[in-house]
Amino acid sequence: MIPYIGRRLFALGATLAGAALVIFLMLEVLPGDPAAVTLGLNAAPEALAALRAEMGLDRPAPLRFVLWIGGMLTGDFGLSYTYRVPVAQLIAERMAVTLPLALLAIALATLIGMPLGILAAARHNRPADAAVMVFAQAGLAIPNFWFGLLLVLVFAIGLGWLPAGGFPGWQAGLLPGFKALAMPALALALPQAAILARVTRSSMLDTLQEDFVRTARAKGLSERVTILRHALRNALIPVVTILGLQFSVLIAGAIIIENVFALPGLGRLVFQSIAQHDLIVVKDLVMLFAALAILLNFAVELLYGVIDPRLRQVS
Amino acid sequence: MTLAQAPIPARQRPWWTGPSFLLGAALTGLIVGLALISWLWTPYPPTQMMILNRLKPPSGANWFGTDQFGRDVLSMIMVGARNSLAVGLGAVGIGMILGATLGLLAAIRRDGWLDNLIMRTADFTHAFPAVLTAIMITAIAGPGMLNAVVAIGVLNLPYFARLARGAALQIWTQDYIQAARAAGLDNWQITGRHVLPNIAGVLVVQATIQFALAILAEAGLSYLGLGTQPPNPSWGRMLNEAQTFMAMQPWLAVFPGAAIAVTVLGFNLLGDGLRDALDPRLRRAR
Repeated sequence: MIPYIGRRLFALGATLAGAALVIFLMLEVLPGDPAAVTLGLNAAPEALAALRAEMGLDRPAPLRFVLWIGGMLTGDFGLSYTYRVPVAQLIAERMAVTLPLALLAIALATLIGMPLGILAAARHNRPADAAVMVFAQAGLAIPNFWFGLLLVLVFAIGLGWLPAGGFPGWQAGLLPGFKALAMPALALALPQAAILARVTRSSMLDTLQEDFVRTARAKGLSERVTILRHALRNALIPVVTILGLQFSVLIAGAIIIENVFALPGLGRLVFQSIAQHDLIVVKDLVMLFAALAILLNFAVELLYGVIDPRLRQVS
Repeated sequence: MTLAQAPIPARQRPWWTGPSFLLGAALTGLIVGLALISWLWTPYPPTQMMILNRLKPPSGANWFGTDQFGRDVLSMIMVGARNSLAVGLGAVGIGMILGATLGLLAAIRRDGWLDNLIMRTADFTHAFPAVLTAIMITAIAGPGMLNAVVAIGVLNLPYFARLARGAALQIWTQDYIQAARAAGLDNWQITGRHVLPNIAGVLVVQATIQFALAILAEAGLSYLGLGTQPPNPSWGRMLNEAQTFMAMQPWLAVFPGAAIAVTVLGFNLLGDGLRDALDPRLRRAR
């Protein structure tokens, strides 16, 4: 197990460093002069020079790269050009929206997708199975931001139960906060639930073919106990990993969904920063998202190794 | 068991009569048809503004109603289909041609440093959320259809590289490859004559599914204003503009979204149907 973790850790470090390098090259070297991108075409030369000094652009690129990485590792993410506050503070504020949103979406996707997948496998080739598969196809085809708009049409404009957008802040209380996140989370959860339903179904169908399931049935266990206590546990492995691997899809979704519902989260921040040419914030946020996705992938792979010792030998 | 005793196989229906394939073909046919017709004819010019006729609900004159500038929504959706399909075609084309080439190269140099480099790069790209690539490209190069194509194409690359490598490695173990080698063909000739034709089916199936994902990604980028730029109509942007008027004119938000969903569903089903045809064993598992 130790050499396995060692190898994986080395790969993790290399991937993170690679990601940082790509982001740095794309956002600090490729544009030529990031200060000029930030200030636009008609910037005064003095302002440009001041910003260049502030961004440290007078130093050579390799040194800037090292300083950037070192800063991020010690929590110094730099200063946002448009907001004039430390990027770390911006991220912390926005995280209070994005993190609950993502967790709520994962919880909803699991609560919807897994039971549907189990139901479909238990009722294989019957109407319930077909209905779940139709749901899964629809969930994959419907763009989540459009689903969000439809939810707004029904629950905000039509019924008036939930706010159409915006976020009151957690200081306004838990209930208003969750009400504001309910529709965005559901919209974000739909494609995930569809994928989970499909993966759970196919994984359960495979497991139900196994000998130990036949044994469980042969010794007289009810179908319910066979499925829930014996088959489900074994079918869960691919399901859990899918949850982790779908994280980058969730990030992509969050960037769009936060804009649909005008939620002041990280996704909206990165989008606004692009509009405002605030390259420092864009660079930090893209690195943060990439690091999160890479770390989650790593955790999932490690989990694979724990669950299935054969995989430790492979890579 | 002799041949005479072998059970007579149940009469198999031809693969193209499966429900997934038929429905998928019908839906994609509809969208591709709309896109092709839009080159020759649309009910109204898609960018023509008729302010007096703005925000009209669906009617005989404007089947899908008009938007805030009085533009005909059906005409915009038809031209939008063209743009969506163009982005999908470009992005999947880049991903498939470059990705499959790299995958085939990795299979030739299997277990060498080049193979490792290609596959690790593919892993890395895979771990990197595609929308972030799009955002970085837009942050430095500005928004636009071509940038969207590149960003989504980069997302597609690792899928095809991995798929092509895996499928090619299986072919390389076949006896006829040995025969081809004995006949004096080099690696590239074997790849071109034997490996590529044998893995083309798998690549086409994956391309169909990636196409659906590309349409979704393009719609998302356009919704954010990072994809196809006005006045060129795009489904994602139409949804963005519809949001302002949604309370009074809900159809503005319904039709473009439905167009995206129908296209994605069509390509997904088509891909499923083709995969069933290619490998009937997979039919149960999905």
